[in-house]
Amino acid sequence: MTEKTTWTGGCLCGGVRYEIGTKPSSISLCHCGQCRRQHSHVGAYTGFPRDAFRMVKEETLAWYQSSEKARRGFCSRCGSGLFWEAMGEPTLDVTAGSLDESTELRARRHIWVEFKGDWYDIGDDGLPRLTSAERLAEKQGQGGNS
Amino acid sequence: MSANGDLPGELPGGCLCGAVRFVVTERPMGVVNCHCSQCRRFHGHFGAYITVPRASVRFDGDATLTWYRSSAKAQRGFCGTCGSSLFWQGDGEALVDVAAGSLDQPTGLATVRHIQVASKPDYYEITDSLEQFPESAPEPP
Repeated sequence: MTEKTTWTGGCLCGGVRYEIGTKPSSISLCHCGQCRRQHSHVGAYTGFPRDAFRMVKEETLAWYQSSEKARRGFCSRCGSGLFWEAMGEPTLDVTAGSLDESTELRARRHIWVEFKGDWYDIGDDGLPRLTSAERLAEKQGQGGNS
Repeated sequence: MSANGDLPGELPGGCLCGAVRFVVTERPMGVVNCHCSQCRRFHGHFGAYITVPRASVRFDGDATLTWYRSSAKAQRGFCGTCGSSLFWQGDGEALVDVAAGSLDQPTGLATVRHIQVASKPDYYEITDSLEQFPESAPEPP
């Protein structure tokens, strides 16, 4: 079996396409209020070093400055949620749902769990659950985003 | 919460930037998780929707609401400013699907089922005990 070395992805209409030349991190399921609104449920993100990323097609890509330090990228034609980018950080996050199958990645944990919507339970999936404080402390320890 | 006495009678909602705002005036029975490949791309993960009569959605702001024809029979609505994924509307249907995450908290709603699970991607598992349908399912009772 050939080992996967490139991960490709894009939006629903194909106006945005990208390529990642390294194995992205396992997936974080984000329950924060911003992900809830933008993705309309739970955010699912995987991160990797920015220099491993190549934009193949971006004619319909739009950015929304969602906080002082971060912006969210989406397709302005089909509305697909694609990227989360923190200013000045060496990594970039893409939504797991924008990756082409098979991803060969796994969800590894839940983050910002105290902000989750009231219509679902995280359930007994065995994955670690980090509050926003725990996640922020972890990031400070890493010196960056994941 | 006891019975329906404490539940909000209306469900206000909107997008991340606040340009799209609406009120759902009729309570749905519950939230349906859709694992189809279109929802996955659109939302960046699986979709979670309530289904209500179109006439029960009253818009207070829709200047940035943008529609994308995602299939021969349906459109998806999103905010053109912040990219929030909001609606699924089948052509000629009296019902509209509203994404659960666009509703203001608390909603008092609960998830009732999973649909299109045959299309689920490889990066997560469904671990709850809710009913599952390989493809579509009848509208919630």
